[in-house]
Amino acid sequence: MTSSESVAVLAAAIEQCAKEPIHTPGSIQPQGFMLVLQPGTFTVLQASDNLSHWLGVGAQQVLGQALGSLLAEGGSLLSQLAALADGDKHPVHAGDVRFSYAAQRTFAVMAHSHDGVVFAEFEPASDVAGAYGHLYPFVRTFVGQTQEMGDLTELCQLAVQEIKRITGFGRVKAYRFDTDGNGWVLAEQADPGYPSFLGLWFPAADIPAQARELYVANRIRVIEDANYRPSALVPPLNPLTGRPLDMSHAALRSVSPVHLQYMRNMGTLASMSLSIVVRGRLWGLVSCHNQAPRAVGFQARMACELLGSVLSLQIEARETDANTQRLLGLRQSIVRMLSAMADRDSVPEGLKALPDTLIGFAGAQGAAVYSESSCELFGTTPGTDQVEALALWLSSRSLGTQQVFHSDNVGRDIPELPRLAESIAGVLAVAISELHNHYLVWFRVEQRRTVTWAGRPEKEWAGGTVLNPRSSFEQWQETVSGHCRAWEPMIIEGALELRMAVLGIVLRKAEEVAQLARDLKKSNKELEAFSYSVSHDLRAPLRHIVGYAELLNDFERSNLSERGLRFLEHIGESARFAGTLVDNLLSFSQMGRSALRLSDVDLGALVDATRRELAPDYAGREVAWQIEPLPRVIADAAFIHLALRNLLANAIKYTRDRAPAVIRIGAQQQGAEVIVYVKDNGVGFDMAYAGKLFGVFQRLHRMEEFEGTGIGLASVRRIIERHEGRVWAEGVLGEGATFYFALPKRD
Amino acid sequence: MLKPILLVEDNPRDLELTLVALERSQLANEVIVLRDGAEALDYLFRRGAHAQRVEGHPAVLLLDLKLPKVDGLEVLKAVRETAQLSSLPVVMLTSSKEEPDLQRAYQLGVNAYVVKPVNFKAFVSAISDLGVFWAVLNEPPPGSLRLQRPAKP
Repeated sequence: MTSSESVAVLAAAIEQCAKEPIHTPGSIQPQGFMLVLQPGTFTVLQASDNLSHWLGVGAQQVLGQALGSLLAEGGSLLSQLAALADGDKHPVHAGDVRFSYAAQRTFAVMAHSHDGVVFAEFEPASDVAGAYGHLYPFVRTFVGQTQEMGDLTELCQLAVQEIKRITGFGRVKAYRFDTDGNGWVLAEQADPGYPSFLGLWFPAADIPAQARELYVANRIRVIEDANYRPSALVPPLNPLTGRPLDMSHAALRSVSPVHLQYMRNMGTLASMSLSIVVRGRLWGLVSCHNQAPRAVGFQARMACELLGSVLSLQIEARETDANTQRLLGLRQSIVRMLSAMADRDSVPEGLKALPDTLIGFAGAQGAAVYSESSCELFGTTPGTDQVEALALWLSSRSLGTQQVFHSDNVGRDIPELPRLAESIAGVLAVAISELHNHYLVWFRVEQRRTVTWAGRPEKEWAGGTVLNPRSSFEQWQETVSGHCRAWEPMIIEGALELRMAVLGIVLRKAEEVAQLARDLKKSNKELEAFSYSVSHDLRAPLRHIVGYAELLNDFERSNLSERGLRFLEHIGESARFAGTLVDNLLSFSQMGRSALRLSDVDLGALVDATRRELAPDYAGREVAWQIEPLPRVIADAAFIHLALRNLLANAIKYTRDRAPAVIRIGAQQQGAEVIVYVKDNGVGFDMAYAGKLFGVFQRLHRMEEFEGTGIGLASVRRIIERHEGRVWAEGVLGEGATFYFALPKRD
Repeated sequence: MLKPILLVEDNPRDLELTLVALERSQLANEVIVLRDGAEALDYLFRRGAHAQRVEGHPAVLLLDLKLPKVDGLEVLKAVRETAQLSSLPVVMLTSSKEEPDLQRAYQLGVNAYVVKPVNFKAFVSAISDLGVFWAVLNEPPPGSLRLQRPAKP
């Protein structure tokens, strides 16, 4: 049988088993007898059939009679019963009584209230004072020693020893359940001749779901003899409700025949189990067995129950403490990572600085910080391509409001990415952006482990309604592969906490950026005001200088010497140049500020227009224009026009000594860009200065060689960069230059 | 009977150069000079120091954008909001075309603007063109007063 087949069969068996109504067996174990009483009047509603064995009177005969009328001694019982609160579900020792029938026998009464009736369970009384004197030291010893025990295993070992001493069972073991409900034996004390189960696993199927619920509700269960003959209740149904009586809390409740068969299969005829309940959940069991039938008096049961409660509380305290310690560790890691992120002002940079903390935080072997632009890997992880595929997979499915995904078996849970399982087995991922596909991912490697089961984890289901419990308790080993250690809830919780903190940082950064944008807008406004006053106030005096110089030339020419006239001319020229400089600077700063007005621009038409505008600049010169077909681009037409004008004007200017001047303009599509170039055979430039070309006021020629303000190429760069493009140039001194600009393709 | 040209300019250098430019453009119109926006409004609405002036509107108003007291835009606004003046041609003089106020001037209904160029010759030609266009070629709005060109001394 393959593993998956056996799992399926087992699941069917468990389901079948879980349907058995074990809390309403309609019968009791025969080591005592039961009277079911009407609350208030305490008249007998139901009685166990074995009344005749214990009292020598038929069950039918006591029905409808008041309990008080049946008693010879023990009238205080009635007031004890009257004091029982409705829903006082745990049986308490309500005293000892004698009946008028079989008056020589004393019975201990255990009473509780449930399902709308009062349960009175009777068993032979023992020497109460002697029993307490005997049991009390055991319990006291246990309570005293629990504090000294190092870990849970030692604690459970101590409990097992004490329970064995109290009850005298042949083998007592404690096991805890994993998240799947399989039980692992962590402590055991056994007499010679009993097989040992220490370290073995019991399959979850051994205890069906409804039995687990009963274990939580009723924390002690004794079966004195697996071969017992159950004693039925008379009448079978609760006469108040007409339904089978809910005997969940009754100490004598008869158990499932399947369970009795299980005990016989194990070779033990007596058993007792104590529930270890931690935070309301069945954490584990203390399970006692004896090869021969064995009675457990109610005092011993109560002592064991008390011991079980102390054990449960101790475990809860230790787990809480351990959880607190781990939580503290997680928080410290989070704080360390957050401060690293804050220091570097970057989430990925901060995490990169603390790879060990990042990985160790989740008890993982590897981690990835994934954003759309980068994928950083730390420790043992799948390859970058696999992590990217994983991020894509994560983004394709909603992580839900929790924004977390975890799997301890990627081969099973992410069948779309089979290669993931080659390097790792477990994934824990949280989304760290509300807008983008950014993830923190942790990886755990496969933890191949061998589980030793106490027998094959399967029941034999013969079909129909009868379920046979397993009969094999031979050890059986199973290798579990493809799994990592399950992601602990606390670590998932911690990852979510880290996520919230990271989102907080991102949010804060967004706010900072918004503030920066506000500041920039403000300083931009100031700059605008500054530019405005420059344009107005600086231009005016320049204009006046030029104007008066010309007027002087017009009116006083005859009174000036040759030199004086030359000086006057220089005054005018300098002032005009200063005016041009101011104008160019202004339009340059304008370029940085004004919004782009994108439209469809025909570069070919634009080049033609620009050539026409510049015609006066090369009038009378021999210029060979070589213009290739140019594409249409999405850009700001006015700005691109200005850029082309600058480039063409430069080409015309720097080929002034060439005949013919050759100016070539072309374009090519390359990837996501359109690259345009303007090539000339002019004076060129030394590539050593290529970096300076596009800077403001950077000039490579003396003024008397080539005039200019040093703003033209800076404007080109600014215009192209505003379009998110780039500019560069190539040149050879004396041979020519090529200027390129690349514009991103837009839709 | 030519209507006068009204020139509103606060800067004495610009004023002198503009007057030279107008002179060189050989316009026959008289040029009335006002030095700030408030004075311009007084003249246009015949109040204050100009309460006693002869009735009638100028041929064109050459208005500097930046003026003390009441600036060019405010004068323009007042002109456009007054029924009798609303069709008076207004030409804005400005130092730079980058001025954001130019946009506002267009919204308020300016007829043209002249960026005072650094180059004086260009300025002369711009003023001359405008003067000829507005003062000579344009049909005067109704109610315009034609004045005799003052005899040259």
